[in-house]
Amino acid sequence: MASRKSGSLLLSGAKALSKQHGFAASAANTRSTQILPGFASPCSFSRYSYSSSAEGQKKILGVFFAAHEYAKNPEFLGCVENALGIREWLESKGHKYVVTSDKDGPNSELDKELADAHILITTPFHPAYITKERLAKAKNLELLVTAGVGSDHIDLRAAADKGLTVSEVTGSNVTSVAEDEVLRVLTLVRNFAPGWKQVNEGGWNVAAVVHHAYDLIDRTVGTVGGGRIGQEVMQRLKGFKLKEMLYFDRHSLSAEREKELGCKREEDLDTMLAKCDVVIVNTPLTDQTRGLFNKERIAKMKKGAYLVNNARGAIADTMAVKEACESGQLGGYGGDVWNEQPAGKDHPWRYMPNNAMTPHISGTTLDAQVTISPQFFHLNAFADCLRFFSSSVLGLLLHGWIFEFGFGF
Amino acid sequence: MAVVQGGEQKTMKVVGVFYKAHEYAKDPKFLGCAENALGLREFLESKGHTYIVTDDKEGDNCELEKHIPDMDILITTPFHPAYMTPERLKKAKNLKLILTAGVGSDHIDLHTAAEKGMTVAEVSGSNVVSVAEDELMRILILLRNFVPAHTQVSEGGWNVAAVAYKAFDLQGKTVGTVGSGRIGLELLKRLKAFDCKLLYYARHSMGEEKEKATGATWESDLDKFLAACDVVSINLPLSDKTRGMFNKEVLNKMKKGAMLVNNARGAIVDVDAVKEACESGQLGGYSGDVWYPQPPPEDHCWRYMPNQAMTPHISGTTIDAQARYAHGVQEMLEQYFSGKPLPEENYIVREGELAGQYQ
Repeated sequence: MASRKSGSLLLSGAKALSKQHGFAASAANTRSTQILPGFASPCSFSRYSYSSSAEGQKKILGVFFAAHEYAKNPEFLGCVENALGIREWLESKGHKYVVTSDKDGPNSELDKELADAHILITTPFHPAYITKERLAKAKNLELLVTAGVGSDHIDLRAAADKGLTVSEVTGSNVTSVAEDEVLRVLTLVRNFAPGWKQVNEGGWNVAAVVHHAYDLIDRTVGTVGGGRIGQEVMQRLKGFKLKEMLYFDRHSLSAEREKELGCKREEDLDTMLAKCDVVIVNTPLTDQTRGLFNKERIAKMKKGAYLVNNARGAIADTMAVKEACESGQLGGYGGDVWNEQPAGKDHPWRYMPNNAMTPHISGTTLDAQVTISPQFFHLNAFADCLRFFSSSVLGLLLHGWIFEFGFGF
Repeated sequence: MAVVQGGEQKTMKVVGVFYKAHEYAKDPKFLGCAENALGLREFLESKGHTYIVTDDKEGDNCELEKHIPDMDILITTPFHPAYMTPERLKKAKNLKLILTAGVGSDHIDLHTAAEKGMTVAEVSGSNVVSVAEDELMRILILLRNFVPAHTQVSEGGWNVAAVAYKAFDLQGKTVGTVGSGRIGLELLKRLKAFDCKLLYYARHSMGEEKEKATGATWESDLDKFLAACDVVSINLPLSDKTRGMFNKEVLNKMKKGAMLVNNARGAIVDVDAVKEACESGQLGGYSGDVWYPQPPPEDHCWRYMPNQAMTPHISGTTIDAQARYAHGVQEMLEQYFSGKPLPEENYIVREGELAGQYQ
């Protein structure tokens, strides 16, 4: 179905995305950006004059989810079987490329292979939790690349202390995630899931669905975080004729941008929460945002309001969300992220009422995978990464920067 | 027409057919259910009219049948449609006015109603936004493969690949609406921000202004339209012209793997053709809230076919939509009782003529 033959369903992929974000598909402009500040322009990698002593074979380790029978689609790049589609390229350059989906527990493939890896590629959808302990054992490690957006599964402080570079493919799946957030808002507000379940079980009871079904028009929606994804979702919600579109962020968007998006800034989070019928989380997971949506904060939301979180599970308190859905303090909760991934079989979010949960999929549609795969967009950026990682001067600079960095909070 | 003689109004027998809400009826905002009777009981009874409300509409011995011979006004709703066949209409000797609480009056045999000089009207526009929002939701649900993902975690599982292998973004896709009336237009307006290519198939162009507002392009050739779309949304009324329009032949003209959304009417598509297309992969998925008949039987094949995102008929009867169409029905009753005309756009059958979209 995902074939590129004319007349079949096409992947929008790179072309649409590069047009949207003004990214030229040329090699000079890369989209691989460091999380750490001071490197606003990815091209700055190549401006550093460092000696390129990093030639020679490198061991690259990739950790991805397994697709099993679904891997036969060659466009399914993001799975371990298809190895992000970069095996041929890496091996043609003489590097060693090892991939695994086995990442948890002390005797995992990840631990075995990490011992001598130079570069580690991880992905939020099947995150390799790179703790301080794991980093300490990774003697050769110099570069970590997140195939996607969001690198909280790595102990960033520990990485900085060791002079490591951590990089992610900024913007690669912001549209995917934003679309998915709109989907979750609609499925919650319109109460889709119980309706589907009903007819699948042979039933028919309109009232059992619509007693808790509303329209989005004339409602107030707020996004916690007005960064890339926050802005993409506000753009998409504009056509729904909301009463108000609010955003809370440390930084203000320009007046022009606010007009373009039809949004208004709220300076105080709790004030915003009290106004919203729907709240969408669009912040990265950091020390400041971990557990942000706890019992106290959820209590400040309008009773019956909906909470959508495609950001990171740990931003919301697991039990607080469950209890709020049960009590009705939350009208519903939906998202594709969980405090631990894969989520345990007994995770309460699977079974709480009024949930619109899924596994971590929003940023890994086939279209998004195409934009994440380094080969597609930024062969040269990746090559740059390979070249500079051994510069100790750079390592020190990185160490200095991390503590200044705040993800908008 | 209500006869006003000497300032006295003839008392009418008004019958309303709505779905039951049972335990959910205790919310007074839930107007559209039989228990809350569209919120019209006080209004009608204070004027001396009789108001009978039932959900029992099927078969010769149902509650509705008992009242057919002497009812003056009938209020129906698409979500639990009272099928007013020619036979039923012929038995309804006193029936002068039929109001649809919602949009879409195909459950009434309009030709027979016209012959008998009945007036049929609906609350035009009352739930167009509701339905359009819902269609956009279904487009995302199908493309992004939401249903298998949600089912998976509800059953204790975790398998990203089993979902992602056929999950797509909406961005960059070609989305087309068949029909560019009120609902089609609202859908296009909302799709605009998703950075996809928008097409509409219609008898006439919607004009430069609307095309500019939506960014949609008119395609007047159905075959070309179908070949171009990754997603098709049906936004037509059910009429003689549109019944069974999406049959096997038409489905085969669509892009292989394309998605089809139908919140319009079930009978516009061929039931088995859709099922087979979902099974073969000719359709990547099918989603809608409309069936034929409603309620559908327990073994209706759309419940169990692969790649479906079906629900009961809910999109146009959210709590918000109910308030709008209940208000609209009351307004029309007020107008009718005082001998005033109804809003122009609400007429479906008037003085022996059918509204344009049903011709």
